[in-house]
Amino acid sequence: MKIYRRVRTWIMLAIVLVIPLGISIGAMALDDTPNMWFYSYLEAEVVGSLVTIFAVVIAADSVAGEFSSGTIKLLLIRPWSRSKILLSKYIATLLFVIFFLALVFLFTLLVNGVMLGSGGGYSYPNQGSRSHFVWLSAYYGLNLIEMIVTVTMAFMISTVFRSGSLAIGLSIFLLMGGSMMAALLSLVDKPWVDYVLFMNLGLAEYVSGSTPLPDRPFGFSLAVLAGYYAIFIALSWVVFNRRDVAA
Amino acid sequence: MLDLQTGGAEPVVRLRNVAKRIGGRTIIDNLTFDVPTGEVFGFLGPNGSGKTTTIRMMVGLMRMTSGEILIKGRSIRHEYEAAVRQVGAIVENPELYRYLTGYQNLVHYARMIPSVTKARIDEVVELVGLAARIHDKVKTYSLGMRQRLGVAQAILHRPALLILDEPTNGLDPAGIRELRDYLRHLAKNEGTTVFVSSHLLSEMELMCDRVAIIQSGRLVDVRPIRDGETGAGKAEVLFEVDRPDAAAEALGGAVLRAESGGVVVSAGREEAADINARLVAAGVRVYGIRTVTKSLEDQFLEVTGGGRIG
Repeated sequence: MKIYRRVRTWIMLAIVLVIPLGISIGAMALDDTPNMWFYSYLEAEVVGSLVTIFAVVIAADSVAGEFSSGTIKLLLIRPWSRSKILLSKYIATLLFVIFFLALVFLFTLLVNGVMLGSGGGYSYPNQGSRSHFVWLSAYYGLNLIEMIVTVTMAFMISTVFRSGSLAIGLSIFLLMGGSMMAALLSLVDKPWVDYVLFMNLGLAEYVSGSTPLPDRPFGFSLAVLAGYYAIFIALSWVVFNRRDVAA
Repeated sequence: MLDLQTGGAEPVVRLRNVAKRIGGRTIIDNLTFDVPTGEVFGFLGPNGSGKTTTIRMMVGLMRMTSGEILIKGRSIRHEYEAAVRQVGAIVENPELYRYLTGYQNLVHYARMIPSVTKARIDEVVELVGLAARIHDKVKTYSLGMRQRLGVAQAILHRPALLILDEPTNGLDPAGIRELRDYLRHLAKNEGTTVFVSSHLLSEMELMCDRVAIIQSGRLVDVRPIRDGETGAGKAEVLFEVDRPDAAAEALGGAVLRAESGGVVVSAGREEAADINARLVAAGVRVYGIRTVTKSLEDQFLEVTGGGRIG
């Protein structure tokens, strides 16, 4: 409830919707044979990273914000266990991510479908016999998994350090630096490299045929992410349940 | 309605050997006391004596190192949800969501407790006198208004125990008075037990039925407040006279001490009249007679032995 009462959420939503709209308008004006599927994909790439950042901001603020404003005290003395309170916050954050991503998905499809049509006969890399819609859905689905892991990480940092700015900063730094680190680490020929979180975060690449880790199957990356996910969640819960609230 | 006079009901809160140690330092040391049902109970101590820590443990924000706190017979450690259901509280400042309106804040908290209806929210808003501003954002509120909203969220679910940590902080004299009347009203008419912490002694004196005094994490004393005022027994009476030494001579051993401008005598109501007659007979001019009530502040400083912090 509180997420949607803040002005900033609606600003984020506006940004996330205006950018693809702008791209589509530009495409209509400049491209002779615009293809809705190509532009939907392009916009998904651009806006996807934005949604990730926004989601990280929301997740980071979710718990830490309550601590810095002191409202956590009033929240915790309700007749609910701490686990339930944390769970409801986590679910609210995830719902936000899913809501945003679904909105972008439907919005870009709708706008591009109406404005651009499917001229030019564009097909996605490694599309094979799949339809455009299935391919794009798969792309979004993999993006969602990535995003959930990232958001959970931000949520954990938020819970453990109780500082919103630290959580936002650190998560975004890890996101940005992560891809760089992944590029560097891929030069290192050691088996443990494959288990580093960022090496496995490029999940969405699978759909277009390439892989973040050339000699590992899709399931491997998924398993590693699941492992990290479990650690993030466990850490959040243990810390949140044990801590004395003195702020 | 509960029987307040005999205090026969089971205490709302029982603290048993509660202790809190942080890194080898003992913050709270073996605290044991009961809070009787339906009273306004003051929790008094100098800065850093462990009042807020104790309250935090009572509402489960902090774990206790050892000991047990029971709220209506339920352990805050083992039956947290059941125990805390009986409690409404403000811990330190009333921190609310600044970007929501007062009403949205209340709705938010009301949703977390089953059985709070819309009508109850309106009733509470009316009760704390915020009806005119309840739909404004909290960031436009003054501290006094936030205090009121804090009280409102704490009593939404009609708790058996209301815990307020330094509730008079930041209130103007009128606000303090209103809060005091309001708390007494709650205790009297709704049977709510109110647990108030403060270092404002004079305030406690006016508000509470009973105070517990704590210093350096140790319980110093628990004493009823209103007994002294009922007039039973002797009190110290100050006679303002023109010649204290002559007055002391006239009264002999009855004088406790002579001050400049008067003598202090321990006397009951009738005795005071007799003493007055004796003074007048001895040719001493009496300008005034009044009882010197030992204020809680004196008692407080007496029991805590001055104001050492922590």
